[in-house]
Amino acid sequence: MQQPTVLKETVIDCEGLSTQEINQRVKALAAEGIERVKLLNPAGKHNLAVGIVEPIEIEIIGSAGYYCGGLSSGLNLEVLGNCSWSLGENLMDGQIIVRGNASANAGATASGGRISILGNAGARAGISLKGGTLIVAGNVGYGSAFMMQQGRIVICGDAGDNLADSIYEGAIYVGGNIASLGADAKLEPMTAQDWQFLETELNSLEINFAEYDFKKIVSAKELHHFKAQDWFKFKDAY
Amino acid sequence: MVDKQTLETSSTYTPQTIKAIQQRAELGRYLIRGYGAFRNVPRFDDLVFLTASLTRFPLEGYREKCLTKTVLGTRYAKRPVELEIPITIAGMSFGALSHNAKVSLGRAATLVGTSTTTGDGGMLPAEREASAKLVYQCLPSRYGFNVRDLKQADAIEIVVGQGAKPGGGGLLLGQKVSKVVAGMRTLPEGIDQRSPCRHPDWVGADDLKIKIEELREATDWQIPIYVKMGATRVKDDVKLAVKAGADVVVLDGMEGGTAATQSIFQENTGIPTLPALVQAVEALKELNVYGKVQLVISGGIRTGPDVAKALALGADAVSLGTATLIAMGCNKPVYLEDYHKLGTEPYHCHHCHTGMCPVGITTQDEELMQRLPVEQGTTLVANYLQSIMMEVQSLARACGKSDVHNLEREDLVAMTLEASAMAKLPLAGTDFVMG
Ligand SMILES: Cc1cc2nc3c(=O)[nH]c(=O)nc-3n(C[C@H](O)[C@H](O)[C@H](O)COP(=O)(O)O)c2cc1C
Ligand code: SF4
Repeated sequence: MQQPTVLKETVIDCEGLSTQEINQRVKALAAEGIERVKLLNPAGKHNLAVGIVEPIEIEIIGSAGYYCGGLSSGLNLEVLGNCSWSLGENLMDGQIIVRGNASANAGATASGGRISILGNAGARAGISLKGGTLIVAGNVGYGSAFMMQQGRIVICGDAGDNLADSIYEGAIYVGGNIASLGADAKLEPMTAQDWQFLETELNSLEINFAEYDFKKIVSAKELHHFKAQDWFKFKDAY
Repeated sequence: MVDKQTLETSSTYTPQTIKAIQQRAELGRYLIRGYGAFRNVPRFDDLVFLTASLTRFPLEGYREKCLTKTVLGTRYAKRPVELEIPITIAGMSFGALSHNAKVSLGRAATLVGTSTTTGDGGMLPAEREASAKLVYQCLPSRYGFNVRDLKQADAIEIVVGQGAKPGGGGLLLGQKVSKVVAGMRTLPEGIDQRSPCRHPDWVGADDLKIKIEELREATDWQIPIYVKMGATRVKDDVKLAVKAGADVVVLDGMEGGTAATQSIFQENTGIPTLPALVQAVEALKELNVYGKVQLVISGGIRTGPDVAKALALGADAVSLGTATLIAMGCNKPVYLEDYHKLGTEPYHCHHCHTGMCPVGITTQDEELMQRLPVEQGTTLVANYLQSIMMEVQSLARACGKSDVHNLEREDLVAMTLEASAMAKLPLAGTDFVMG
């Protein structure tokens, strides 16, 4: 006879708890082997689910403040609400899904994992991205992908001014309009692999990739070096 | 026949100015160099100690104890950083420095019981291993920054700015962006790396408060959080850092070194270490947190007297960058031909940005790096730190103090009007305080 599955799941009501108490409880539950935790009444608290390095599933029922899921690795986080600044900051690995909107700096400096925002994202989405994937089903604001180093950003909607300014490497896909590109960013033709990547990533979020006219933006690599004629010039540049 | 004795030189267009204009004309960009401000500024040299005589008695050198223990981060952290001496090693990146230089600094710090600091390039595993106490920098670039290394740190230092370039970002020219350095920073190999000057995820002091909470949550409130700033509007900046929740304020004056920045920053931005320290202490006192939030001061600190005077003016500890490199052989008259290749001479070199350091300290070149064996670097830095610590104790004992932290403002007077005004100390032999 098949054993009934025991869902190792628990609920934390955040009402009346400090951020520290909430995160400590989540970490303690993860250490106990609890696989899923639901946070009720987050009330826009900052720094929820920060520093989580266990593969635990966290569901936040409501909206969160700054740095939701920040400095984490390997967590599986879902927010049934909106998030404030710097969602998933410095994420190394794992997955974050936000059902609402995210404010500025979503995914800042993340080096791995996948962050998906089903609404819009604010200014500077994917700033200094170092790897991994950031998906925004809606629009992104001014200065998104600024100084991005690696990884991929998918924007199904429109991108604000100065997209991809001074990016080093990586690729950005935009399904809607681009207000303007930043310094050293350029459009590049989409390849079959790019479409394949978009199909896989967007299908998993139940977004039909074929509805969008994706454009690809990469670094023109013209700012990678100072425009000095040769090494000798640098040597003497004191 | 030219009579060199009577040749006239413009004070506006000095030979250096003429050369600098012509270099810009050729390069089409700003000039870059290492080291801090070259201009002369009021400094600790302009103060002297009023040691003991009849009004107070001195302690015996070698026989009577003079304590040096220093604790940083007592405000909120569960595990403050406990050091044997009030001298720490400043953040200098692997990338700016060679692997051997980084490891030497770590081992030397461990030998004398102090901390060392990572830099704008992440935590080198060998550095973590070498350093009993390692401060992990969180810089605007966040190169190599991650939660796993964060959890191994003994303290975190959020770098808002540096004395050599307050308001400016980092620079690492392509010749130093080796495969390993590029890999650690997630950058293409060999690019001229110009890092951001603002943090990507927060902007003002209100945000910084939340950023500090984030770092504390990620480290379970165990380790202290330092906030490092270049000295500009010191009073307000220190107060904002304290209000944002810093455990320790690290303040870097304009003499503070760097491996590379635009020379215009070094010479034209920020204020010297001496007045910065005085203003920072005042700010902490005004907020009633002096002694609760520790103050670390840096920028041009070279000798025991510098350290002792900084402590007397109210610093809890000092931090050293350039001087530790000099201890390892920076600007030493060896390998002369390699200094010449850089167009310079020993004692005048500030060419860390080129990556061709003649003594193997600020380079990623395999051959040059061999010129600084780790054992040698370790011993030199440990000896140097120990010797300046002995100098500090000598001065403290002569002032009658059984703990170097008991040195106080009252032990000092100023030798110049500028120093009197900036340190707010009486001019030697008078009751007159300038200002
Ligand atoms: C070679 C070198 C590299 C440096 N790299 C960094 C860095 O990565 N991050 C930082 O905050 N400061 C950096 N600094 C500045 C030091 O942390 C420190 O503020 C300064 O060296 C203190 O002044 P001093 O050199 O006169 O002792 C660097 C300094 C030097 C000399
Ligand atoms: S000797 Fe090396 S460390 Fe010293 S200034 Fe020259 S390049 Fe920099």
